[in-house]
Amino acid sequence: MVEKTFRSRFRTEVDGSDAPPGADHHIFIGPQHPWAEEPAHFIIHLKGERVVEADIRIGFNFRGMEKAMEARTWRQNTMLVPRACGICSAVHQNVYVRVVDRLAGVEDQISERARLIRMFSLEAERIHSHMLWYGILAHDAGFDTMLHISWRDREIIMDIVEDFSGNRVNPSLMLPGGVKRDISKEKADKAKPLLGELTKKVEYHKKVFVEEASIRNRLEDVGVLSKDDAKKTSPNGPTGRASGLPFDIRKSYPYELYDELDWKLVYYTEGDVLATTLVRIDETLESLQMCKQILDKLETSKGEILARVRPRIPAGEYMTRGEAPRGEDIHYGIANGTDKPERYKIRAPSLGNIDATLKRMDGEYIADMPVILRSYDPCFSCTNRVMIVNDTTGEKMIIGQDEFAQKAIKAKKYNRPFF
Amino acid sequence: MSKELKELEDILNITLSKDLIKEVRKVEDGHFDVLTTPDKAYDLMKILCEDAGIYHLSTVTAAEREKEFYVYYHIQHRIEEEFREVPINFIITGINKDKPKTPSLLDFFVAADYYERECYDFFGIYFENHPFMQRLILPEKWPDDVRPMRKEYGWEELKEITLGIAKQISEND
Repeated sequence: MVEKTFRSRFRTEVDGSDAPPGADHHIFIGPQHPWAEEPAHFIIHLKGERVVEADIRIGFNFRGMEKAMEARTWRQNTMLVPRACGICSAVHQNVYVRVVDRLAGVEDQISERARLIRMFSLEAERIHSHMLWYGILAHDAGFDTMLHISWRDREIIMDIVEDFSGNRVNPSLMLPGGVKRDISKEKADKAKPLLGELTKKVEYHKKVFVEEASIRNRLEDVGVLSKDDAKKTSPNGPTGRASGLPFDIRKSYPYELYDELDWKLVYYTEGDVLATTLVRIDETLESLQMCKQILDKLETSKGEILARVRPRIPAGEYMTRGEAPRGEDIHYGIANGTDKPERYKIRAPSLGNIDATLKRMDGEYIADMPVILRSYDPCFSCTNRVMIVNDTTGEKMIIGQDEFAQKAIKAKKYNRPFF
Repeated sequence: MSKELKELEDILNITLSKDLIKEVRKVEDGHFDVLTTPDKAYDLMKILCEDAGIYHLSTVTAAEREKEFYVYYHIQHRIEEEFREVPINFIITGINKDKPKTPSLLDFFVAADYYERECYDFFGIYFENHPFMQRLILPEKWPDDVRPMRKEYGWEELKEITLGIAKQISEND
């Protein structure tokens, strides 16, 4: 049983009456702030330069996606689900199609080839998400050179994803019953040397984080989350693995063909921000060698890439999870025999990690706050799914980015509708 | 004793009282559904947490069925030596639709705090003995009696409510 004194966050009163005793300054960050690209309201209570307690308010990016899914068919939802998160779109789609495969009873008809292509998409996503993240972390720690280096090298994997799927960040390769596109031999052969090149670059990035004193000192022993605290606050994914909880769903409850690949679980026991960084860099290296294995296996595997799934899904319910770059992604689907879901629940990883991250901040310096807050890879479309769309007129138009900006400025300036 | 219950008890290495459990279902290998009712949920979770040592709560889902609400606690039994997890869906059935109430399991999981509040926000299910049963995600101006994930509210109605709030805010500004 959890002690009564250990309370969760997310409990801020609007009038500030709940400030902890002893705090003499209060810093409010967000929902709009130059540091954070994404909307959340952080409240940080300080005594001198040390953090006494930190809290958060969420709900500024609420889109109503679960309700929207109940109004759409299972087939339409395949394209809505990846929009739950901008960066980890493939893993949301993967978990969703596995729920539908299971409910429709086509799990055993999916070919090895389709599963391998799904896995390639997932691992490529993990690589580009982690590389993006440690670039931003270096930027927050005041080491902009690393941001430029890692984002430059990230383009290699982005090009591969674009080559295989047609899109850079939203590959949408998966469908219930298999995948949409095949990966041809020419494309695979073109990608293999690029993966080798990227591996060398990521090894260099790891060397920078481990050996370069100016960045290492900024991360080492900062924001330590002990294993006991991690057990209480139930973080998932790399946040938990950095604190000695060795659970990766690919290993702990294997899905697709992860149990047939040769890879090792990465976890650290230190629990500081450096450990969360190294977990992710090591995972990037693991994912790169997994990608190579998958491309080798693709050469020999054959089979139809798409099995037929009927639009009406028989009544049933199924919970499944997938390892997103940020952690544990859990979906629960209830089907009622029609072509629309009865209820569909998505819990993306960031919501489960906020509590542990705010726990990390207790007693730390205010200057370390940006790197600690960054340590769980915040993604607020993860935290507040769901949308409500304004389509009063039903008018549709296709415009470029500049035109869109001009229209928006005019609409604001002259106070007139956008369209 | 059913076969599934025996299997679950072997994995968890405890004995579960039959009175507390309505049904145990096996979803697939090493993945179980445990069904119970609101009055027995607290005692059953106490056994699972204190005797079997379950500490990870993935999320809490609420769902509206024909005559009742269901609340699902998705918990994981973690076996650290084998790097293995056994997912258990802890399902509380038979929550009255007129006055939806169920005990809060915050005593066992810190994370239950915000997941339960999310259910309260969207479905209006009240978790008893929760020290801070308030909204989590919906905006401040959202009407208190509208629980948007319930089936009685369709897409169009919610759109009207949302646009109404937006209009009210822009007029006040």
